[in-house]
Amino acid sequence: MTRILCVAEKPSISKAVAGHLSGGHFQTANTRDTYTKNYTFNFDFGPPWGHSEVTMTAVRGHITQLDFPDDYKRWEYPPPERLFDARIQKSISSDKKNIAKNIEDQARRSDVLIIWTDCDREGEHIGGEIRDVARKGKPGIVVRRARFSNIERAHILNAARQLVALDDKQVDAVDARIELDLRIGFAFTRFLTLKLRPLGGPMSELMLSYGSCQFPTLGFVVDRYFRVKNFVPEAFWGIKVIHERDDIRVTFNWIRHRLFDRMAVTILFERCILARYAKVTKVQEKPTKKWKPLPLTTVEMQKMATRFLRMTGQEALSMAEKLYNQGFISYPRTETDRFDKGMNLQALVQKQTPDNRWGQFAQNLVDGAFQQPRQGRNDDKAHPPIHPVTYADPSVLNENEKKIYELVVRRFLACCSEDAKGVSTGVEIIYGDESFNAHGLIVVERNYLDVYPYENWTGTAQLPRFRVGERFEPLEAEMTEGKTTPPGYLTEADLIALMDANGIGTDATMAEHIEKIQERQYARTVERAGRGGNQNGADDDNADAPAARGGRGRGRGARDGRGGRGGRGGGTARGGGRGGVREFIPTSLGVALIEGFDRMSFDTSLGKPFLRKEMELQMKAICEGRTTKQAVLADSISKYRQVYEQSQGELGTLTAACRQYVFGNGAAAG
Amino acid sequence: MAADLPTQIQSALRTHTLPTPSRPWLRALIPNRIPPPPLASLIATARMRLLASDLTTPSLLDPSYSAEHHIPPRLVNNPEIDIGRLPCDVVVQVLDIENLSRSRWEQVEEMEAVARGEMTRGREVIRVVSEQEEGEEGGGDERGVNGVNANEGNGGGNTGAKATHKLVFQDCTGEKVIGIELNRVEQIGIGRTNIGEKWLLRKDTRISRGVIMLEPTYCQVLGGRVEIWHKVWLDGRLARLKEAAGVNDRR
Repeated sequence: MTRILCVAEKPSISKAVAGHLSGGHFQTANTRDTYTKNYTFNFDFGPPWGHSEVTMTAVRGHITQLDFPDDYKRWEYPPPERLFDARIQKSISSDKKNIAKNIEDQARRSDVLIIWTDCDREGEHIGGEIRDVARKGKPGIVVRRARFSNIERAHILNAARQLVALDDKQVDAVDARIELDLRIGFAFTRFLTLKLRPLGGPMSELMLSYGSCQFPTLGFVVDRYFRVKNFVPEAFWGIKVIHERDDIRVTFNWIRHRLFDRMAVTILFERCILARYAKVTKVQEKPTKKWKPLPLTTVEMQKMATRFLRMTGQEALSMAEKLYNQGFISYPRTETDRFDKGMNLQALVQKQTPDNRWGQFAQNLVDGAFQQPRQGRNDDKAHPPIHPVTYADPSVLNENEKKIYELVVRRFLACCSEDAKGVSTGVEIIYGDESFNAHGLIVVERNYLDVYPYENWTGTAQLPRFRVGERFEPLEAEMTEGKTTPPGYLTEADLIALMDANGIGTDATMAEHIEKIQERQYARTVERAGRGGNQNGADDDNADAPAARGGRGRGRGARDGRGGRGGRGGGTARGGGRGGVREFIPTSLGVALIEGFDRMSFDTSLGKPFLRKEMELQMKAICEGRTTKQAVLADSISKYRQVYEQSQGELGTLTAACRQYVFGNGAAAG
Repeated sequence: MAADLPTQIQSALRTHTLPTPSRPWLRALIPNRIPPPPLASLIATARMRLLASDLTTPSLLDPSYSAEHHIPPRLVNNPEIDIGRLPCDVVVQVLDIENLSRSRWEQVEEMEAVARGEMTRGREVIRVVSEQEEGEEGGGDERGVNGVNANEGNGGGNTGAKATHKLVFQDCTGEKVIGIELNRVEQIGIGRTNIGEKWLLRKDTRISRGVIMLEPTYCQVLGGRVEIWHKVWLDGRLARLKEAAGVNDRR
């Protein structure tokens, strides 16, 4: 019999897969690593190996680490810039020695190694590490990889019989990233810490870390902070026309919305009054829809969790991971927002029918209301959108797991339901030379909204009858006045959206970077004060219109910024106001660092997303075979080295910014 | 023969709805050589020079033209008049333009971002490279760094296409008058309208409270610009916006 060694990325997956492959009958043996067990059983992998003797074990994340040699351990010498080209060595992490030994030993007794790490870039890299360790035990071992995105039984059995090769391009991409992060991170961290500690005071004890994602992330926070702080409110004026008919009061909105010039508005308003009569130019009544959401991606899940569940993105992701490890949901790190046509979604809906919150809704879908989900434009070719795999009774989940599970299920059911439907009415009038319009919305069928409390769509009063061409004397017309308000500080959802739009971090690591800038005391969060609706377009209620999808086409990023007046018809009920939303505010240290680098005369400041974005694109290029690890390393290192040298040359700018913001002096001179 | 040239040019320009230059100005324009350059090229030169000139330059225009084609001061200096109309065609030059649909601060923020080499598209921050470096891939991103972009790139609806602008015009007598877009005039825009650009305001253009009501049917862009004015206007725009917004300190 062929002897096969299977290795998963973590013990929980190894146990689950062993359970499925063995049909629940396996022997368990301890290893020298307390958390890791070896499960042995028999399984028929089909040709070429057929009936085989299997040992299933696991690692716990990465096994190896990259380091500078000992003579680089001291911070003061050699100078940090030497780290850009110092020799580096890969070794087994000290806490993973037992795990590596176990794999090496098991490999020695096996003919084939099957890698069961998570199917993403990081997982592929861990697979590469496992392969290297196994080859130490048995150089000629055959290496295969299982492709799976959830640990549901049929899916796992299927994956076991359709093995593929390990993708070395992805391994290389991660290799490059790890090396760059190490060199760049260490060099700049040492540079900052060594150069800024001597300023003394609160800085003398600090560890001033730099990370190529951390800094742009902080950059967004600082940028918004200044936009809020420097904001200058301005007065604007508008014209409002009110008419009453059939006992309904209708407000007509000015097409020009508002103008920042009192004289101009006064004149235009006066011309309306002089005209006396308004004329109806257009009456329209048409069916409208509020589109059901797209299938759930990691980034969307994190944004929603921070907005509706009072969790951080990090917490949301770790809850989702627990749910995945328990087999309740599919792999939670995905960029895909379209379901494969071949997936049996109805069967997944069926599994949700026992629930007393959404079971009835699921039953209705099963009974014929099911609709194929909308297809987004992103497919990472590795994982489907996040969806429930089996039903989890609330009693088996803890509080936060329950919330995330509920979010995933509701989103999934909403996707499989139908768009909400309504009738929108619009009346346009011309009054003097000015045009005005009024909108009404009647929600006819709520459909997906019934299972999806995270969105709302409210109708307005019905508009009275108007005929095209008729003239009427409006009941009231008035000139209105208002003032612009500053944008809000960034919420975590905003921050994630910005990182996503600018290629900072991957969907899986964004939350970590956000944690990091807080941990380093570069930024902190505060509860949003009870301000009104937010201004910065974080609001998803884009009413009836299918959002114009720009940029990377995820429907994020391109949405109307402030004032989004697209679909006034309804649905603006949500938004700010809700308590518990946390906002990011930079600390004086955070401001000093970003300002310090921004004020240097670089092409691109380290606080801006450009350099990192380029690096991220290069990782992708390695994966797609358009470039190589070596080329990327050479290119990125030389770019960052240049920035390093410039930073050194303009250190005075950075220290001045620290004095100004951290020590609060020099502000006048700055 | 040459004595007739100015007259010929005058009448040709008139058919192009351009203001009529004075004979001395035209004579100075015509090169002193025999034979003189062809009429068509003389007309073109005169037209170009005229459009690039300050209309209030003494003896630029024919006195009889100036006498008939200017804005009657009683119309613009009398804010009591609800609605009046221009009694004749008047050619004016643009001295200033403002977008009234966006707050000054919003425009300041955008100009400062562009100066830093950034633009935003939705949530994405885009690097903008200065004009000279343009021409590689991504050229589309930089389009109009000092131009059209002033009206792009942020929500709020009333950008570019739908915005309402206020202009300051001046006629040949030096009379200044404000114009606002009663209806959208496509040729008006920050980055599109040049300072010193000549406009024809047609007879019957409506005037309210001393302000010209701009409408496509009653106005026509003749083109041109006064280089130095345009430059000064561009250079001072940020400061003017800040002042108008009420910014008193700087970061």
